[in-house]
Amino acid sequence: MAREVAESCIDSINLELVHTYATRLHPTKPELAARRIEAIGFQVGLQLAERYTKERPRFGDHLEAIKFICKDFWAEVFKKQIDNLKTNHRGVFVLQDNRFRWLTRFSLDAPTSGNGTSSSEANQANSARASQAAGQYLYFPCGLIRGALTNFGVPCAVSAEVSALPACSFIVRIKG
Amino acid sequence: MPPNSRPGDAVFASVDRVNAELFTLTYGAIVRQLLTDFEEVDEVNKQLDTMGYNIGIRLIDDFLAKANITRCSDFRETAETIVKVGFKMFLGVTGTVANWNTDNTECSLILDDNPLVDFVELPETCQGLYYCNILCGVIRGALEMVSMRTEVKFVKDVLRGDDVFEIRLKLLEQVPEEYPYKDDE
Amino acid sequence: MIVCVAVVGQQNNPLYIQSFTNGDDTLKFHYIVHCSLDVIDEKVSNPKKLGVSLNETFLGLLYPTEDYKVFGYLSNTKIKFILVTTDQDLRDADVRNIFRRFHAAYVDAASNPFHVPGKRITSPAFAERVSSIVKSFGAAPVP
Repeated sequence: MAREVAESCIDSINLELVHTYATRLHPTKPELAARRIEAIGFQVGLQLAERYTKERPRFGDHLEAIKFICKDFWAEVFKKQIDNLKTNHRGVFVLQDNRFRWLTRFSLDAPTSGNGTSSSEANQANSARASQAAGQYLYFPCGLIRGALTNFGVPCAVSAEVSALPACSFIVRIKG
Repeated sequence: MPPNSRPGDAVFASVDRVNAELFTLTYGAIVRQLLTDFEEVDEVNKQLDTMGYNIGIRLIDDFLAKANITRCSDFRETAETIVKVGFKMFLGVTGTVANWNTDNTECSLILDDNPLVDFVELPETCQGLYYCNILCGVIRGALEMVSMRTEVKFVKDVLRGDDVFEIRLKLLEQVPEEYPYKDDE
Repeated sequence: MIVCVAVVGQQNNPLYIQSFTNGDDTLKFHYIVHCSLDVIDEKVSNPKKLGVSLNETFLGLLYPTEDYKVFGYLSNTKIKFILVTTDQDLRDADVRNIFRRFHAAYVDAASNPFHVPGKRITSPAFAERVSSIVKSFGAAPVP
């Protein structure tokens, strides 16, 4: 039987990974922190690609590999599938997750308008801040996707966008 | 078994659990990145300890609540709770407590195995590395939040060829707890 | 009897090669493994012509030599696994099973955080696991 750990171990290590690189080690160099965190995700993505496809036939093309990321890979890592996959048919794929598991805790920090005095402007500023903070937690999953696809022979660049928490999109641009 | 808590098995069964692979691989990738960034293994040991400390101070409330722990009567009970409930609740493994000193301020936490080291083989170049050093930080951070200042360090490591993982836990100071409310008489 | 196993990376770079004979056959096996890479490339690019079902990891018999049979397996991550055997009558299912275990051993070795992708596998645990797989195969009665 596969070994299990508490899910809070994953939460803790992810929070602390971002804290270590973005706040403690490189507070004035956000791009460098992002690169380091992405590199860590990349290594894990390479390894998971290997593990998750142990018993399955090879992918016929890039689209099959991307669909695998959206379904099986996402389900293994985040306990749900990607909600929507879009493509421009020229090598760009958008993977949308309406409720990204690692961001679900951020929705708690979203502005509450309970006292009735908060203006929509303040709300917007708050949610912009929350989105920015949330963005730091997406470097790792971007690396995961890039690592897995690279190992499937799909060289690509991956970025992320936070829309309304906890929804987000991952944009995969295939190279070459 | 620590008397003032739910048994570790029951707590582990009640929390959200995931396949350990992702956790194991993520931790491994972090250790490797830190080794690339810092080069010195001593500095990496320190970084892992700091990361653990930050995790420990956040994790303790969750732990006390889920394990339904009111308080530990003494340091011996605290140590038992860490290995029987704490390790079990988070990592799914239990350990044992051994090698107490005479005044009960110092002991060893022994683990045969833990999910951080699945698949790991240390290269020759990492001889001074305590790969699981994050665990020391977690324990130190968590205990500090319940008013115990401790020193925590690895003395045995399976990855270095020892038969078990042994963490030496030393109580430096116990700040008397001030409860915001009195226990019922 | 399995006399040689090899793992070859995405750029046809050798990741692991080990022979299990008493003689000094290393060069000969290197040559056999090298030749089998071309056969794999051909099988993968012309699956229908060569009778391999599309995208299956197990590639079957790559080619027989006078003394050996060479089998291949290609993972989703384009890692090639090669077995050289002396047996003449092997059951397909047995060979598939060996490859599956061989692949699983590789996946665990690649999960070591200190393994560098594309570099040779130096793990003693991997070598031990492969050699026990090879031995278990030799011990099994061939029908």
